[in-house]
Amino acid sequence: MWIVFRKELGQYFNSPLAYLIMAGFLFLTGLWFNSDLTFSVGTKAPDPALIPFNLSFFMVFLAPVLTMRLFAEETREGTLELLLTAPVRERDIVLGKFLSAWCFFSILLLITLIYQGILISISRPDLGHTIAAYLGIWLYGGATLGVGLLFSALTENQVLAAFLSTSVLAFLWLGDLAGAIVANIDLARVIREITLQGHFSDSFAYGLMRVEDVVYFAGVIAITLFLTMRVVESRRWR
Amino acid sequence: MIEVQQLVKHYHGFTALKGITFTAQPGEILGLLGPNGAGKTTTMRILTGFMPPSEGSARIAGFDILTDSIEARRRVGYMPERVPIYPDMTVEGYVRFWAKLRGVKQPHDGVKSVLERFNLYDRRRHLVRTLSKGMRQRLGLAQALVHNPDVVILDEPTIGIDPQQVIEVRESVRALAKTHTVLFSTHILSEAEQVCDRVVILNRGEVVAQGQPDELRRQLYPGDHLYVEILGGGVETGLKLLGAIRGVETVEPQGSGFNVLARGDVRSLISERVSQAGYKLLELRPVAMTLEDIFLEVVKRRTPPQT
Ligand SMILES: Nc1ncnc2c1ncn2[C@@H]1O[C@H](COP(=O)(O)OP(=O)(O)O)[C@@H](O)[C@H]1O
Ligand SMILES: [Mg+2]
Repeated sequence: MWIVFRKELGQYFNSPLAYLIMAGFLFLTGLWFNSDLTFSVGTKAPDPALIPFNLSFFMVFLAPVLTMRLFAEETREGTLELLLTAPVRERDIVLGKFLSAWCFFSILLLITLIYQGILISISRPDLGHTIAAYLGIWLYGGATLGVGLLFSALTENQVLAAFLSTSVLAFLWLGDLAGAIVANIDLARVIREITLQGHFSDSFAYGLMRVEDVVYFAGVIAITLFLTMRVVESRRWR
Repeated sequence: MIEVQQLVKHYHGFTALKGITFTAQPGEILGLLGPNGAGKTTTMRILTGFMPPSEGSARIAGFDILTDSIEARRRVGYMPERVPIYPDMTVEGYVRFWAKLRGVKQPHDGVKSVLERFNLYDRRRHLVRTLSKGMRQRLGLAQALVHNPDVVILDEPTIGIDPQQVIEVRESVRALAKTHTVLFSTHILSEAEQVCDRVVILNRGEVVAQGQPDELRRQLYPGDHLYVEILGGGVETGLKLLGAIRGVETVEPQGSGFNVLARGDVRSLISERVSQAGYKLLELRPVAMTLEDIFLEVVKRRTPPQT
């Protein structure tokens, strides 16, 4: 598993796209941070969960881009055939790839801690709030990457994989809005239970750590990884 | 080293393998010979553990490919029909990755030696995407051998490269004899004859013949093929003269002489009769049957004419 993990992580740092993503990511988060800071001066305390909160929407686009290559490229190039004849299990291949994506995302997150450092140096933010928000977005990110990985395994076309997973993630994200406008309160509650937003914006984003939300994200990760393994396995039957 | 028992493979209603059986001894280069669509790739994909057979079983170095799949796979080096690459990896990184994935703990020396062996060491820092077709083919061989597997499975490794490189690849494969068991597929008959110790001929998912190239020749054509050229007399005379010799089965005009198929050695009889008849024997030589001829014959016999 770690061999696949190391190779994939190496691939991230080898590809220009990853650096592009990193640069764009820093630029965007920097922008958010600055504008919030300017806006906050003298009026309110800067929001420690700002970056995680904005990222929760941004992940709808970022997660597919980070994961689209992982299986689609192997299928297209035919390396998957060789990979599936190596003495490793599907489980290790899938886990290795997933962890490499999550690790890359974690590195991106770690970089944004610089902003939190600045915040701490100039004000007195609620650290519990910050930590909960980061933990939340970290789990949230893992779940979205799991969805992206699944779609990457389903098709050999990277662009299609990215498009499909963006659609699904956008749906899971917007589903929250749907939950808000549905008249039937029970239905609305159910919708909120299955959407990504519903487990983040009301809890982690306010510095609240709820077991059910952690379980939800862990569950999404487990389910998408399990399905990905089945999909990869099914490549043997085609 | 490779034991294949009654393998059957169905693809959505289409039967690609109809129960094939063969074995390869340690150190043997076994050719899998057959036209496109015969089932060579399918056989290899099953043996490498890429996909399971529908029926039947196979063992690699004693390990069952279904029940001991991981152990079997550990002992196989595989080069698929189209060498799959990671374009953004370096040549060295690519080979090292496959070495580690197949359980080599200290890949450094193995990677170096295999890159040197296939003339890629100078390019070890280049990206795989920059390699030419021939170099990619050698890279394919390098990754298949880097973990020094007992069994090497090469799917049409000489396809689509230029003649000089074809010769190099064939020599590399020959050099694996004795130290590795090689399963080598090709649809080129002369290649199988040149490279392999033994050949399994596959057609439409069935083994139609197997044996050493010259053994196959003997089995299928117990007689001798001769080429005879006679000075004097016409085609008619020649046909009559040769056809009357005991042991001669068929005579056909060929160029300025005749092709003779005979049972037993009829060479002295031919020279005797020709001079008795007052003609001169210009040429009398055995014609080696190529696998090509055998193959055509076998396929003709096995495939009833379509009506
Ligand atoms: N994935 C597949 N699905 C359906 N049919 C297939 C598949 N792979 C191969 N076949 C069919 O099985 C037969 C044998 O194919 P293959 O093993 O690739 O032959 P070869 O390698 O000898 O050319 C062919 O008729 C081919 O069309
Ligand atoms: Mg083939």
